[in-house]
Amino acid sequence: MDFLRPSTWDEALAAKAAHPDAVPIAGGTDVMVELNFDRRRPPALLDLTRVAPLTEWGTDGDLLRVGAGVSYRRIIEELGSRLPGLAMASRTVGSPQIRNRGTVGGNLGSASPAGDAHPPLLAAGALVELASVRGVRRVPVDGFFRGPKRSVLEPDELIAGFLVRPGGAQQFAKVGTRNAMVIAVCSFALSLSLETRSVGTGIGSAAPTPLRATEAEEFLSRELDWEARGPVPPSVAQRFGELVAAAASPIDDVRGTAAYRSHALSVLARRTLAWAWKGFREVGP
Amino acid sequence: MTTHAKTPVDPAPSVPVGGAVGRPVDRRDGHAKVTGAARFSAEHHYPDLTYATMVHATIARGTITAIDTAAAVAVPGVVAVLTHLNAPRIRPVRKGNIVRDLGPSVSGTEVNYLNTDQVFWDGQPIAVVVAQTSVAANEAAPLVTVTYREQQARVDFAAEQHNATPAKGDLTFAGTKKKGDAEAALATAQVSVDLRYTTPGLQHNTIEPHATIAVWSGDHLTVHDTTQSTDASHKYLAWRFGVPAAQVRVRAEFVGGAFGGKFAVWPGTVIAAMAAKAVGRPVRLALSRKAVSRAAGGRTASTNRIALGATRDGRLTALIQDSITHVGSVGGLLEATSSPARHLYGAKNMLTRQNLVEMDLLPNTWLRAPGEAIGSFVLESAMDELAYELAMDPIDLRMRNEPATDPTSGKKFSQRMLREAFEAGAERFGWADRNPSPRSMRDGEWLVGMGAATAYHPVLRLVADVKVRLSNDGTALVQCGFHEMGMAAATVQAQIAADALGIAYEKVRVEYGDSDLPPGPMAGNSNQTATVATSVLAACAELTRKVTALARKTGTTGQEPAATLRAAHTPFLEASVGSTSRLGSLRSQGRFLATFLKDQRWSKAARGAQFCEVRVNADTGELRISRWLGMFDVGHIINPKTAASQLRGSIVMGIGMAMSEQTLVDPRNGRTMSAGLDSYYLPVHADIPPIDVAWLNEPDKSMPLGIIGLGEVGMTGVAAAIANAVYHATGRRIRDLPISLDKTL
Repeated sequence: MDFLRPSTWDEALAAKAAHPDAVPIAGGTDVMVELNFDRRRPPALLDLTRVAPLTEWGTDGDLLRVGAGVSYRRIIEELGSRLPGLAMASRTVGSPQIRNRGTVGGNLGSASPAGDAHPPLLAAGALVELASVRGVRRVPVDGFFRGPKRSVLEPDELIAGFLVRPGGAQQFAKVGTRNAMVIAVCSFALSLSLETRSVGTGIGSAAPTPLRATEAEEFLSRELDWEARGPVPPSVAQRFGELVAAAASPIDDVRGTAAYRSHALSVLARRTLAWAWKGFREVGP
Repeated sequence: MTTHAKTPVDPAPSVPVGGAVGRPVDRRDGHAKVTGAARFSAEHHYPDLTYATMVHATIARGTITAIDTAAAVAVPGVVAVLTHLNAPRIRPVRKGNIVRDLGPSVSGTEVNYLNTDQVFWDGQPIAVVVAQTSVAANEAAPLVTVTYREQQARVDFAAEQHNATPAKGDLTFAGTKKKGDAEAALATAQVSVDLRYTTPGLQHNTIEPHATIAVWSGDHLTVHDTTQSTDASHKYLAWRFGVPAAQVRVRAEFVGGAFGGKFAVWPGTVIAAMAAKAVGRPVRLALSRKAVSRAAGGRTASTNRIALGATRDGRLTALIQDSITHVGSVGGLLEATSSPARHLYGAKNMLTRQNLVEMDLLPNTWLRAPGEAIGSFVLESAMDELAYELAMDPIDLRMRNEPATDPTSGKKFSQRMLREAFEAGAERFGWADRNPSPRSMRDGEWLVGMGAATAYHPVLRLVADVKVRLSNDGTALVQCGFHEMGMAAATVQAQIAADALGIAYEKVRVEYGDSDLPPGPMAGNSNQTATVATSVLAACAELTRKVTALARKTGTTGQEPAATLRAAHTPFLEASVGSTSRLGSLRSQGRFLATFLKDQRWSKAARGAQFCEVRVNADTGELRISRWLGMFDVGHIINPKTAASQLRGSIVMGIGMAMSEQTLVDPRNGRTMSAGLDSYYLPVHADIPPIDVAWLNEPDKSMPLGIIGLGEVGMTGVAAAIANAVYHATGRRIRDLPISLDKTL
């Protein structure tokens, strides 16, 4: 197995173009597990840890741009106030050691339906920035996932980072078979924007890919009392939960039944709505 | 009466002479372990060391028809690839009598690995790659391609249960036990429950996976092995490789947890020694965690019918437990799931039956509290159900059925303070604050429940040879081939020897974990502390007699022992219990039988009362354990600090069994799907509440120093206490472990 170690982004893109079957590795929290268990033996690994710009974040116009190599720990510590939903999800990833190593870019690259970072990115309407020697493109995250562990990433492309509009109220909730270090049985992220009066959602571990509950978003954005920020009627919360559950297509597996997942999703949807709206009512946008 | 385990750490841990026993002395191996100085089995260095990786069968039953090693052999650094076609021939596994010799009984399976083309389970090692590096061995192993002729395999426990047949009993295993006519009594009981409980298979996940380094020097074999039975395994390896036992040395100074999983000799040990013989170099074979789950057994799954009949005032009239467990076609432990049912409650009519089904799976083995871990979940859950049927406090129901003598054997109890444990525990836990109605206690969206259960584990004592040397510099050396798997075995024996000799604790050195030492017992069935203490006390008493006689002769009576030795110009004095000569071995057998028979006069056990408080989320079903108390009747405590750790660790293991652990077998092909920590969920810190453990500290007068082994009792009753608390919280009775999210809603 070849181990490619580019030190600049251009070198990394050139290496990926020359070795399209090379597997990029950043924190290694997914890739190393697969190698250890001999689930895959790629002909080459492309180590991105020396490419400094990947570990940077900053603004791009109105948007916040976060490099693919920023670790979960840094998301929590440095971006917790700007991206609270993603920071909440990051806190549920693995153990402190895993959060030190693992990156959101890696999570996107693995494209697991259970990836913890995906629901908050979906809810926030993030863009994923993909680059190759051919150029750069920005893909809305809800069009990024193509199937279990499959995405629109071309063989010569690397994930450069993601872009997201900060602000609004964001929440994330996850249910697992134990209290930490666990793959989600199901997870849900919610994002509310007073400015655009819009609702964003993200569902994890309850369909072949992470996905949005678009009908639920439209329903809620219509029903919420944005003007006076009045309380959410129980019937609205109830319907929102039902629509979120209806958007998923869960299966029975060892972590939980499909019926449980649907039930839990509607609970998590109602719960995150209550938290987020309460935040709005108390502290404003 | 009760002793709180949370004893503050002594800032200056100087131990007064004669006061070592009962003190919370730090573990002697602690510093070496946290600084990395302790060498575990896979960490010994030899020049010329090679590294081995096993190749595992991918069918459950059949015959190897072809095996192609060319691609593996071609990997740079590969020294040899051994299969049944070219591996050294060794003697087959010998069947034996456990009473005469533990040697044969330590075979994990009956398979003569790499000496047969037959496959008996998915995961059976069928080849081994030996290489210059572990990386080369790991790379080459999957390149061995195997062709099989497959046979129909029995791998689905649920589907095979109708083939279960009653197991025969023997000296160590109760097959069927009857008292009166339990079915008739059940049919006419005023109140009854008749229930079905299931438990899944469980895997061993010690922090140190199984590993072996094997070194041949001529006809002498040295094996560094992750074992809790050095004596039995050195005899076993001597037989398999056809050399005298004196030429085989098994060393295990530090073992990173064992819990029964390192009692049997598993394939890795035999194959490492075989490979070292074949390549003429030392071989290290360290199993990956996945390999452990495929080639070292775990706990059987079980299905249990439990039926209880009682009078309206809560006297048991009928107790029936009918269990089905499995074994492999090539070995496996008969797991005595009916053990608690046979000893805990004074039912007039009893029937316990162990049924077995043979399956084409990796043979199961000992796993902390084999029998009692499952049995206490079944019985103690059913007692709770009966209590609700009777509208009676579950602890009260238990106390109404406290027997005067052992319910099945009629023997007297050497000690039984279960009532006191429940009384002290209930008081300390605040059991009286509990509203007995299910789903009656709530904290916001969390349903709160409290549960209790009895803990029970029988006492076993084996024999240990021990040599104690007292030197004229004031130090003593205790030698015994017992095992240190992290429970402070050496610390505790040093405490005992120090007080017995009347010297300072710090002056006692202990050597253990080596078959060249006087043979110790295997470390299992919670026997080791009491077994070794019996011989340490005997040797120290003899040594004290010798010193006293010498003191009289030299006129140093009343002075410290070292002064007497110096006055007599004697560098040291020794005393031994047992010897490894032929006569000595026979005497050891005699001592074992004498102790065994003496212990058989009594019904002896460690017992306790487990209490827990749980919270179940009313909306999502998430289960959180918020409080724990274990109040134990475990004899005299030698070291409160390490005893508390043992009990706490056991409770954590019980929480894993209750909440998340399960071996998942693919019912189509018999493959373990939970072969790793990514798919086998052990509890994490965030699952564990503060655990309060305490004990009555009442010595069992039939045991040396009043010791009752406590390595396993803490795990028993845990799953039942949790399931009972979940019922109290939610009104939902969970009869199938683990208690996953979807079951609590």
